[in-house]
Amino acid sequence: MTDTSSRTGVTDSTGGADPTTRTDSTADRDRSVAVEGLELTYSDGTRAVDGVSLAIDCGEFFGFLGPNGAGKTTTIKVLATLLNPTDGTVAVNGYDVSDRRRAVRATVGYMAQETAIDEELTARENLDFACAAYGVSRDRRADRIDELLDLVDLADVADKPAGGFSGGMKKRLDAATALVHDPQLVFLDEPTTGLDPKARNRLWDYFRRINDDGTTVFLTTQYLEEADALCDRLAVIRDGEIVERGSPAELKRRVGGEILKVDVGGVDDGHDTDDSAVSDPVATAAEVARTPEQFGEDATVETTDDGVRVTTRRASERGTDFVVALREAGVAVERFDVEEPSLDDVFLAIADGETPDLDAADDESTDDERADGSSDDESADDSTDPVESTEVTA
Amino acid sequence: MSTPEIDSGSTDEATPGAPPTGNSFLGDVRVNFTRWNRKAIHNPTAFLLEIVIGLFSLVLFAAVFGDVGEFALAEAGYGGVDYVTYLLPAVLMQATIGSSFNSGIGLVDDLQTGMFEKTTVAPMSWTAVFAGKAASELLRIVLQVSAVLALAVAMGATIETGLPGAVGIVAVCLPIGVLFMAVSNVVGMLARDDEVLNAATMLFMFPLLFLSPAFIPMSGDIEALATVNPVTYGVDAVRALVLGEDVMTVLDVTAFGGVWNTLVPALAVLVALDVLVGAFAVWLLGRASSADAE
Repeated sequence: MTDTSSRTGVTDSTGGADPTTRTDSTADRDRSVAVEGLELTYSDGTRAVDGVSLAIDCGEFFGFLGPNGAGKTTTIKVLATLLNPTDGTVAVNGYDVSDRRRAVRATVGYMAQETAIDEELTARENLDFACAAYGVSRDRRADRIDELLDLVDLADVADKPAGGFSGGMKKRLDAATALVHDPQLVFLDEPTTGLDPKARNRLWDYFRRINDDGTTVFLTTQYLEEADALCDRLAVIRDGEIVERGSPAELKRRVGGEILKVDVGGVDDGHDTDDSAVSDPVATAAEVARTPEQFGEDATVETTDDGVRVTTRRASERGTDFVVALREAGVAVERFDVEEPSLDDVFLAIADGETPDLDAADDESTDDERADGSSDDESADDSTDPVESTEVTA
Repeated sequence: MSTPEIDSGSTDEATPGAPPTGNSFLGDVRVNFTRWNRKAIHNPTAFLLEIVIGLFSLVLFAAVFGDVGEFALAEAGYGGVDYVTYLLPAVLMQATIGSSFNSGIGLVDDLQTGMFEKTTVAPMSWTAVFAGKAASELLRIVLQVSAVLALAVAMGATIETGLPGAVGIVAVCLPIGVLFMAVSNVVGMLARDDEVLNAATMLFMFPLLFLSPAFIPMSGDIEALATVNPVTYGVDAVRALVLGEDVMTVLDVTAFGGVWNTLVPALAVLVALDVLVGAFAVWLLGRASSADAE
């Protein structure tokens, strides 16, 4: 996935010139989804999607993340042929969504946000209808239905009317009907909304299994935990535009920084030992942490009961030096811990419209970027080049 | 409005193997026919209720209007016709109209549950989707009308034209069924609400039945309204077959002889209306299935 990963980190508005984003017919064949400059304007003038470009490789588990009304469902409906794009080119499984609608429909599965099953029919009949609708051959149908009933754990209730199922069971049945024809690509629009954690975990297992079997998955979600648990790669959409792309880990690192927690010795008089040479080790530790040569200007240093908590992008890199500096200042380190931020921090930052501040360059990735043959000037102030600094070479 | 597309899987496709395209048109029709039949079998109350209501009306109207009815029949020149026999077309129309409004209810249910979108996104021709649904609904009308007819005969109604006439009566109910299926789909598509549709069933059924010669021979006052009432043509056509004579009330046609003087013009009017209203319903359904952003 080298060609797509090079565009992974490029925010769309600024990264359009990247030559690797060009979709040509050769690339389309390895791509499940190739979208260039998608725009969708409703007849009331609402522009729901404004210049979205996406490239998803076969076999990926792709997450489309964003708050309500950001354009996730509209985008997925265009990809599933339910809405014609106002502008832009959209190819799914190599077929144009407007010109080859039936071929797209035959090769994708689509699970809508609202559960869509026929409650008057049994689970088996729902699957039978889906099989027949997607042209699964008659002699294969019975086996396929049994396979899917097993996969979603509904074999016991196969011949019961779906109307009596719980929300989770209905969702699983709905998901199964989207897969009757072994689609190359499946669209899941907020598939776990409204489910309890147990039902949600079962559905996750099920999505992982179909992805392991080679199906490309395009998932939209508002749950960052879900994106984190399932997706290889994410795009974050806000107000119809993609504002962030990357793996869950990359997004977290880019936005939130890491949190470094250090507990120092000598705090509690009760088991004070001779390992602390200063009177107030917490204050001293905070003082050391705040010196600019430790974590730079943008780090946040807070004191806790037992030590200090530093939020910084340079936690991993500077951690050991910081511990050494503490020791030199006469502070004993009892615990040392680096935590990743949660994807919720990313999401909140983006949903609030505060596009993450990217100017603090990731030092560890700088060399890679240079080696990547970037055409950008190797200017001295690399800290002011947001595009370059977000480039990710996975 | 998008036209139903049958993607033949054109030959210049570079991907290995022809792109899958699903079933043939008739295959798609059958898939949807099966789905709606199964739904009706799982949920037979609505189906049976239509038959019960038809018989109930027959008994009720015969009891309430019996003597008055026969007096009116004699006045209008239907001397010797039993009132139950005269009422038969009315209850068959009632059962047909009542049943055909279930078509719109099925549509609204599908729109509300997401099944409409789910069938749209499947590689099926949308015209086949609706044709299969309509075929299932017409089958139900045939069964319901046949049941009401058989039970009415058991209760004393007579069909002068015998078994071929009885088959003809059931057939004549179909264009009325198609008309009100189309109406209910239009209402359903515009209102997207079950309760509106239930109210609309009543709104259409009773005024149209009473503004026709369904229950009692018409007085001159309502004849102008009856002329523009499609139910009049259904009632007259069924009654012509029940009585075995030309009973057309609002048009005077003599070119075909006997019952055909009623059947031909009545069916011509109904088929023309089917095409007109049906086309509008199909256009609305096609627009809802299309991918044009609204």
